[in-house]
Amino acid sequence: MNKYILSKKTVVNDLATFYSFLIGLFIAFFIGSLILLIQDQNPANVFSLMLKLSVGSINSLSSSLNKAIPLILAGLGISIMNSVKLWNIGAEGQIFLGAIAVNLIYININISNSSLFIVILLASGFIGGAVCILFPAITKVIFGVNEIITTLLTNYIIIGLTIYLVNGPWKDPKSLNFPAAAYVGEEVYLPTIFGKLSSGFLVCILFVIGAYYLKEKSVFGYEMRIAGGSAMTAIYAGINAKQKAFYAMLIGGGFAGLAGAIELLSQTHRVSTGISQGFGYTAIIVAAITGMRPVGIFLVGCLFGALTIGGAVIQTIGVSSYIAEIIQASTLIGALIAQFFFTYEIKGVQDG
Amino acid sequence: MADVQLMGLLNATLQAATLLFIAALGELITEKSGILNLGVEGMISIGAVTGFMTAINTENLFLSIIVGVLSASIFSSIHAFVTVILKQDQTVSGLILTILGLALSSLLGKKYVGKKLMVKIESISDITEPSNVLEVLLNQNFIFYLAILLMITTSFVLKKTMFGRRLEAVGEDSRAADSMGLKINKTQFIATCVGGAFAGLSGVYLTLSYVPYWTDNMTSGRGWICLALVIFGGWKPYRTAIGAVLFGFLEALVPRLQTYGFDLSPYLVKIAPYLITILVLVILTIYKEGKTGAPGNIGRPFFRENR
Repeated sequence: MNKYILSKKTVVNDLATFYSFLIGLFIAFFIGSLILLIQDQNPANVFSLMLKLSVGSINSLSSSLNKAIPLILAGLGISIMNSVKLWNIGAEGQIFLGAIAVNLIYININISNSSLFIVILLASGFIGGAVCILFPAITKVIFGVNEIITTLLTNYIIIGLTIYLVNGPWKDPKSLNFPAAAYVGEEVYLPTIFGKLSSGFLVCILFVIGAYYLKEKSVFGYEMRIAGGSAMTAIYAGINAKQKAFYAMLIGGGFAGLAGAIELLSQTHRVSTGISQGFGYTAIIVAAITGMRPVGIFLVGCLFGALTIGGAVIQTIGVSSYIAEIIQASTLIGALIAQFFFTYEIKGVQDG
Repeated sequence: MADVQLMGLLNATLQAATLLFIAALGELITEKSGILNLGVEGMISIGAVTGFMTAINTENLFLSIIVGVLSASIFSSIHAFVTVILKQDQTVSGLILTILGLALSSLLGKKYVGKKLMVKIESISDITEPSNVLEVLLNQNFIFYLAILLMITTSFVLKKTMFGRRLEAVGEDSRAADSMGLKINKTQFIATCVGGAFAGLSGVYLTLSYVPYWTDNMTSGRGWICLALVIFGGWKPYRTAIGAVLFGFLEALVPRLQTYGFDLSPYLVKIAPYLITILVLVILTIYKEGKTGAPGNIGRPFFRENR
């Protein structure tokens, strides 16, 4: 009798993740086309319009890259936490708390040198994100509480806090039909580089390089990988696995918090529920699809930023913006399916 | 006055608990087979929207329930395919199921936002203001009783039947189960789809009874509370039910606090259930010192080594 068994390939193609991503993207656009066809839309028209309105001009291209900033930063945070084999599902909340921290500092401190003030505000965003994950981090390393559920539930708490702030203590009386905090002054707006592109993009690139160095080249990155691997190896190597996990979580939260700070100082200019539109969740897809590699996160982040902008503008012709989210999620499913064929092989063996 | 108010609270508790319990029970069955599905939120959403759409278009409740349950189950088969057959990461796959489920349900439900449901799953009696416990019980609809039936059946099946023992064996030690000749893939695939069907039933309960309308993201994190409930219940149906009633009580109590004379911000009060879920999870993990009763193989893909 013939039996088929799976075995892990001993040699996996270096570019397997990249090829899987391409196949995933192809499958996702196929699924997207089907959904559009069901809705009586011509996929070719919709996709070409999305392309034109997301990268077709300096203005649209810079908007797309602006949207990529929170996806990339939050994605980097998720990938750093994944070095110790932990999941950060709380990036959405961390983005919000980052923005809240910026506003808190802005209201209470006044620094006349605006460049210095901006740097301090960006740092407050980072700290805000780290504070957001502090409780899940402490309970994880001390008691082993499942961080997936604690970080996720924290999102609902922080978004609830945001709604409370913009309807209560921080409510701007001038904003009548949309509850929001007062605008920050123009002196702390992040300057633009070209078109609408915020200088936050440069900060973002800096952090991509930083995350790459931290994960791949630094001693800390090496220790994180060991700590995330086997507990026994970490003990033999004299590495305090819990301490590494704790720091990885705080840094990961900080990256997402910084995303919130940049979003506030360059896009919304005030705290509201519009600070993040699910960036923290899309960032999970971005990070997972690239196999948690910083440079990959940067590239896929830019692409997904363009997709998000494309999805937002096609609403004008009556297509749901959710099509962009569905394409993003389907890309990851497609990539997972493709990944299977790169990492496993099916063998027929003679039984008995 | 106190009686009517108290019974109103009990009534709301049981309704909220029913919704949480059914999906949590489904997740329990899935996890028993060693598969972790973080897509509960997405599956409930899919069940909720497809059930609601069918009810608006056909006004046939029975058909709507069937459609909601089946769609969620088919949707969960994506997770089954990716993790059971293709052995990919269960965390990633489950998360996509949540993201995709929420996006897909928003897309499907776009035309149905604000539409009024002409039919609704009615309670088995026509009491408007229950004044004692019996009347509260009679004020529930048939899905509440179905949930109780499912609890008893699931517990029986897990403990006393061959299928239950096999499920447990697969989830605890799939290598040993495989050498005993059990079909790992088939068992895990079925368990995942059953979990999806249960979440779908929760979904139709949400849109056809609990809040009979449709808006985006109306599951509002309940799927994640269900995941915490399974841990709370130590992977046992009866204990999970106790947890569901506790969390249902919280969900019912919080909006009532103001009428009881507590001066609280309505915005802050909405945070409470999530805050308490986290605290309960932490206390529980400390109390059990990590011995939570989780199936031994949960989250780990199974494949035969090439010997």
